[in-house]
Amino acid sequence: MPAILISDPTLRDGNHAVQHKLTLKQIAVYCDAADAAGIPIVEVGHGNGVGASSLQLGESASPDMAALRMAREHLPHSKLGIHMIPGFATIEKDLKGAIAAGVDVVRVASHCTEADLTERHIGFARENGRTVYGVLMMSHMASKELLAEEAGKMESYGAEGIIFMDSSGHYLPQDVTERVKTLTTALSIPVGFHAHNNLGMAIANSIAALDAGAAMLDGCARGFGAGAGNAQLEVLVAVLERLGYQTGIDLYKLLDAADLAERELMKNVPSISSLSIVSGLSGVFSGFAKPVARAAQQFNVDPRDIFFELGQRKVIAGQEDLIIEVASDLAKKKVNSLLEAA
Amino acid sequence: MSLGVQVSSESIGYIEKNPDCCDLVFDATSANDHKLHAPILKRLGKIAVDLTPAQVGGMCSPAVNIAECLDMPNVNMITCGGQASIPMAHALSKTHENIDYIEVVSSIASRSAGPATRRNLDEYIHTTENALKKFSSCARSKAILNLNPAQPCVNMQTTLLAKVDKPDINGLTAYFKKVVERVRKYVPGYRVLVGPLLENNRVVIMVRVTGLGDYLPAYAGNLDIINCAALAMAEEYAKKMAAVGAKG
Amino acid sequence: MTQAAIAQVRQDCCEALSGLERQLSQLKSDHVLITGGTGFVGSWLAEALACLNDDFQFGVKIYILARNTGRFQSAYPHLADRRDTTIIQADIRDFFDVPAKINWIIHAAATPDNRFHSSSPVETMNVIASGTMTLVKAVDRCVNIKKFLNISSGLAYGPQPWDLERIAEGYTGAPASGAVSSAYAEAKRFAETYCGAARSQQRLPIVTVRPFAFLGPYQSLETPWAINNFIRDALTGNVLRVLGDGQTVRSYMYGSDMAAWLLRILTDGAIGAAYNVGNPEGITLERLAQLVAERFNPRPEIRLNASNSDARHHRTIFIPDTTLATTSLGLSIKTPLPTALERTIQWNRAYHAGSAKVAA
Repeated sequence: MPAILISDPTLRDGNHAVQHKLTLKQIAVYCDAADAAGIPIVEVGHGNGVGASSLQLGESASPDMAALRMAREHLPHSKLGIHMIPGFATIEKDLKGAIAAGVDVVRVASHCTEADLTERHIGFARENGRTVYGVLMMSHMASKELLAEEAGKMESYGAEGIIFMDSSGHYLPQDVTERVKTLTTALSIPVGFHAHNNLGMAIANSIAALDAGAAMLDGCARGFGAGAGNAQLEVLVAVLERLGYQTGIDLYKLLDAADLAERELMKNVPSISSLSIVSGLSGVFSGFAKPVARAAQQFNVDPRDIFFELGQRKVIAGQEDLIIEVASDLAKKKVNSLLEAA
Repeated sequence: MSLGVQVSSESIGYIEKNPDCCDLVFDATSANDHKLHAPILKRLGKIAVDLTPAQVGGMCSPAVNIAECLDMPNVNMITCGGQASIPMAHALSKTHENIDYIEVVSSIASRSAGPATRRNLDEYIHTTENALKKFSSCARSKAILNLNPAQPCVNMQTTLLAKVDKPDINGLTAYFKKVVERVRKYVPGYRVLVGPLLENNRVVIMVRVTGLGDYLPAYAGNLDIINCAALAMAEEYAKKMAAVGAKG
Repeated sequence: MTQAAIAQVRQDCCEALSGLERQLSQLKSDHVLITGGTGFVGSWLAEALACLNDDFQFGVKIYILARNTGRFQSAYPHLADRRDTTIIQADIRDFFDVPAKINWIIHAAATPDNRFHSSSPVETMNVIASGTMTLVKAVDRCVNIKKFLNISSGLAYGPQPWDLERIAEGYTGAPASGAVSSAYAEAKRFAETYCGAARSQQRLPIVTVRPFAFLGPYQSLETPWAINNFIRDALTGNVLRVLGDGQTVRSYMYGSDMAAWLLRILTDGAIGAAYNVGNPEGITLERLAQLVAERFNPRPEIRLNASNSDARHHRTIFIPDTTLATTSLGLSIKTPLPTALERTIQWNRAYHAGSAKVAA
């Protein structure tokens, strides 16, 4: 039976759903349950990774070091992982400390066309004996050939696997199949996939990835993650079991962990809202949902219009400030058209 | 060379061999290289305008502290994001007593960031954060850099977000307007896009920097701004030296 | 570098060169220029020539050209400060002033670090292409040029098919054109053909070598994965991590053997020919990791990174067929791999004695 490596970013991607307000207590209880279920990698931190706590992206309730130390204490068997984006986090300020706190797995991420930003960070994690993966975000914004090139760069820097993300939940299964095929041909290292559920395709996309040769998948308890949420981990593992894949995860304990996550971590179980559908269609980062809703309210414009405009401008993760600009522009246009009508 | 300008591939070596070739040196090599060059230039009595993140000399933002920089033989031009944001940080600090935290987010076109910028991303962030702290007298700062690959290329855009005790948007707007006028003397493409305003309890100002487009493309305002700042500084040095020369 | 390390390298060179002194005697009292002279290839050549001068009274005048010579001068004064050695600091792309008295040129100027190839592919190609073009033109001034050795790369063959045990010089594969990951290999291929054109048109005595993979002192332990990382991991007390199922096949030649081969091909290689240089005996990464681990006490753990279901299509192979060099020039490998490993580990230990961090 072939083995698939599951990585669980419930406590990282899920932070997007609660404006990065997961507490140390919540981290502790979920880690206990995840460890008991045998989840191989548990990823913890601000939605945009270590060092991303900011006014731009939202401030964490739990500072990075405290969160990681708490997680480390409550993960006696599972590996502790972090996500980090050069440009938000630095080696000195963030990566060094994370490694000192006991992180096992470092996933260094960039926008899908900017892999050369990750050279030093991948190198640093590798030199410090951590498992290091390269991550390509918003991967729908590059052709599969370009994606493979960028992944190749990360491989040359020392990444031992590449995960490509459907950060906006934009893909359909065929898109994923093509990309995984191209990546596995081009690379000597394993390929992983991180799904989002804006168009209800997270599980299907994940299975398509597997069928095409992916070896790693991400999933979150109850799908707790940005926008419409991620692939629902317990559903994914159940499907994998049925398909005959080995994950090393105890299904019952995983279901318990998901029940616990629902009780302890989230106010609402993720669902596909109208706004999520729009962001998925327009290919805009799922994590923008809350700031868009806020800006829409402040400037009195339709949030769906904001999303489509952001999609037009090909805005990438991290550019939350543009939301204010777009909302402000739309408001001005609205006023102007009202004036013209009058 | 066709313009009668001396060209050499020997870097600092040429200046050492021909010390009369110049009075002022723009160093756009790298932080590590500038640390080697700085003492040599000092020994040769040259003014150094440092465009690397080396930070050997004092930090310089012409619209803010050009006068005090004139006394320094080595000035550091910080970073492109620093040049875009320090005018904002300065205006904020002049109109607010208690600044808790300043954050600057810059977006630049992916095309405008070459291998050296990418390799030195961490240094860029640390240098910009240091500058923000210094120019705003605020203890906590954060700098973020986003590279955007969209075509057509996006213009450089910098947003300042700050947590302050008693936000005074009107005072800030008035003061900042004056600072912007000073900046526009050497960077005509420096334009306020949004604010100053209060959003979700944070002070927000967004500026866009477009270059002149005379040599570097206009979208690469980030490259223009640091070069223009360096030029502005150099011209002040030149004026000072000419004045001294006229007297002496 | 400690005295012990210097002595070991010298001894290695003597062993590798023994038996070749007669054939290499054409170099006596001549002027040899090495471009890219401060890298792995250049440093070993400098060591080999120093050995020939000191122990065999060759009287060779050595010229080392590189863009950044500062680190070489401060780290290896035993080479840089020699009276028979001149250091030239210049960018190969602008180096038109090749001293007219140069008799032998070994053109090794390029960056071998594949991370640099990914992040700065334009400059990677530029240095190789422009550098070669400039040098070939500059060589016209050399009245008494006897041989020009162009150091190409085994990567110029393109990917080695899994079922081809060893690549011989006649294999006509190529890197995928247009791909950024081909930047280095394609630039080397261009340089080879350019040298062929110059050989024909300018009547220059050019020989080409295609080096494969090497091991030894003077090599950075920073480049990701495989042999250097295993050594690095072991030296820093970490687990030895092997990518995939460890069945990727590589081979390694020790630096002193490389230097000896290069000098022999320089003096007696046929003009217009290309010679593979490397170790024809392949070894899997897994076995290599074991060889490294065995040399440490306590023995570090080896961990295969085989998290994926089908590792087979991730396996690669990169092994030279060196029949041409061994039969036509009588070359052989004097330092077997286990010994090469020992010496490399020893050198790195001694070189970094006293510092906890293993640096390049």
